[in-house]
Amino acid sequence: MRLFAVKILRLIVVVLVVTFLSFLLIKLLPGDLVDKIIPFGTDAQKEVLRNDLGLNDNFFVQYWHWLSGFVVGDFGNYYLPNATPVSDSLGTALPISLELMLYAQILSLAFAIPFGIATAYKAGTRFDAISNTVAFGLLALPNFVLAILLAIYVGAKWQILPTQSNIAPFPLNPLDNWRYMLMPTIALGVGQIAIYMRLLRSDMIATLQEDFITTAKSKGIPTRRVLLSHALRPSSLTLLTVAGLNVGALIGGALVVERIFGLPGLGSKLTEAIFRQQYVAVQTYVAIIAVFYVVLNFLVDILYSVLDPRIRHARATA
Amino acid sequence: MPEQPHSPAESILIDEETVGLEPDSSAIQIGAIEGGPEVARERRRKGLGFGAWIAIIWLTLIVGSAVLAPVLPIPDPVADSAPAADYKSGPSVDHPFGVDTTGLDVFSRVIWGARNSLFIGTVSVVLGFLVGGACGIIGGYFKGRIGGLVGVPMDIALAFPPLVLALAVVTFLGRSVSNVTIALAIVSAPILYRIARASTLSWSEREFVLACRAQGGKHFRIMTREILPNVLPAMFSIALLGIAVVIVAEGGLAIIGAGVKPDVVTWGNIIVSGQGELRDASHIALFPSFVIFFTVLALNYLGDVVRAKFDVRESAL
Repeated sequence: MRLFAVKILRLIVVVLVVTFLSFLLIKLLPGDLVDKIIPFGTDAQKEVLRNDLGLNDNFFVQYWHWLSGFVVGDFGNYYLPNATPVSDSLGTALPISLELMLYAQILSLAFAIPFGIATAYKAGTRFDAISNTVAFGLLALPNFVLAILLAIYVGAKWQILPTQSNIAPFPLNPLDNWRYMLMPTIALGVGQIAIYMRLLRSDMIATLQEDFITTAKSKGIPTRRVLLSHALRPSSLTLLTVAGLNVGALIGGALVVERIFGLPGLGSKLTEAIFRQQYVAVQTYVAIIAVFYVVLNFLVDILYSVLDPRIRHARATA
Repeated sequence: MPEQPHSPAESILIDEETVGLEPDSSAIQIGAIEGGPEVARERRRKGLGFGAWIAIIWLTLIVGSAVLAPVLPIPDPVADSAPAADYKSGPSVDHPFGVDTTGLDVFSRVIWGARNSLFIGTVSVVLGFLVGGACGIIGGYFKGRIGGLVGVPMDIALAFPPLVLALAVVTFLGRSVSNVTIALAIVSAPILYRIARASTLSWSEREFVLACRAQGGKHFRIMTREILPNVLPAMFSIALLGIAVVIVAEGGLAIIGAGVKPDVVTWGNIIVSGQGELRDASHIALFPSFVIFFTVLALNYLGDVVRAKFDVRESAL
């Protein structure tokens, strides 16, 4: 329990640091922020905005102002072409990005787990060697390269799936939604298959050498059951953790893949905000992503020690 | 991740080590790339191997043409070289990678792009190597307060998803080549820091370090003469993978719109210039994509070879 309290405390500190740095980012900007956000505004308009953003205040007052807004969902505004709250765009974009990441994760695990088990069981065979070589190739395939290949062939040349999307939200039209999501999901998920597969394979090989597996086999339990119900569970701890932590890479990948398929998720919003120099919005997106990532890391850390009692003991004695 | 074990004893060892694995995404991401083809073990016996030579030849070709770009007989990468009728035309004898939407030769742009992309890739990893390596060795050697202090900035950098951190830095500092390089150095430093620190932690427990200390060796001497040479192979193999990661990151940043300004030729920017033409002129985005893929493949493979050669224990990382 004490360990848990320490972790919560650390989480709070890290969230504060991360938001502070996200806030600090905007101060790195060379020149006057207001001149960039509304380059064509009159002096009076600029002065109003300057007051609005609290740019005349003390630095820490500004941070406090910004943070208290951030906590209650006041994420600032877009100022060009019209003044609209960032939270509106966030509301439509965030679900799409989260959906994409979720699908990619499901896809990669759905392939990685069976292949991980099979290659571990058949370790050293030709099947294992081929799978490993393919996995090694997939690891070198950047998600945007795969995305471009899919967009060119499946999307443009063969026209099997749509690329430029006016995607329907999932609840309205699930099938249509999936049609748009399929290629981005593949582009984002395939690279992860290799990571997860290799991880599960090496853990599984180790587990298969344990005494209790020999016992299970000698009792005459079918191989299939030994693999799935005896060996998989103890082998999947690292996989679960990595799958959780890998979201950091998935976030970056999702931003890129969305751009290529024109999915109106966070990546597209970020690009648009950068292009239109809406730095308040960029700052918000960066802060949201960072906080999400930090909280997720925290949850994975907790999950890890809950799932595996050996970790708790190891840390307690260390 | 650990190689295939040969005996139950080894497997138990590996099991304990994977359990001790710190939940740290960057190390794991890199760690996962390490699992190369199973030929790694054979390679230790028989020199470099066929694949490694192909990788070296490919990289030599890329680096060579990048360095020699100004003297190579190729069209100018930023001035029209094709007649207007040829705009967006596919690969031909005159233009092996085709022509882009504004009449520029894609082959020439890929070669000139290699100059910038490889520059960004290597310089940022070298910077990350120096900063991360130094901090890692200091942090691993002085475990107490100094070690903790050195680790703080690294842990903060790791609190952001890598690409988002780079994107933020570039967006707010400005989209120049040097700023992108700095941003990607900030991203790669903590990864190399983790490797160096973990490696130092295990080496500094060894007898020869104790012996040096017993003879009155200064901390600086122990770190540079005793620990550094042992930590280098692991860092070097990760650095090769790091260059690959950074090259991909440059492409990703360009696609998001937070890379180097579009008028600078990089692999990422060439892809972006072809992004709107996937239907009519797919070759514009396709060729630089393939070049990135093969370069990353070659770097990953070589990183794997280095790891096998020096018998880097992944478990120690």
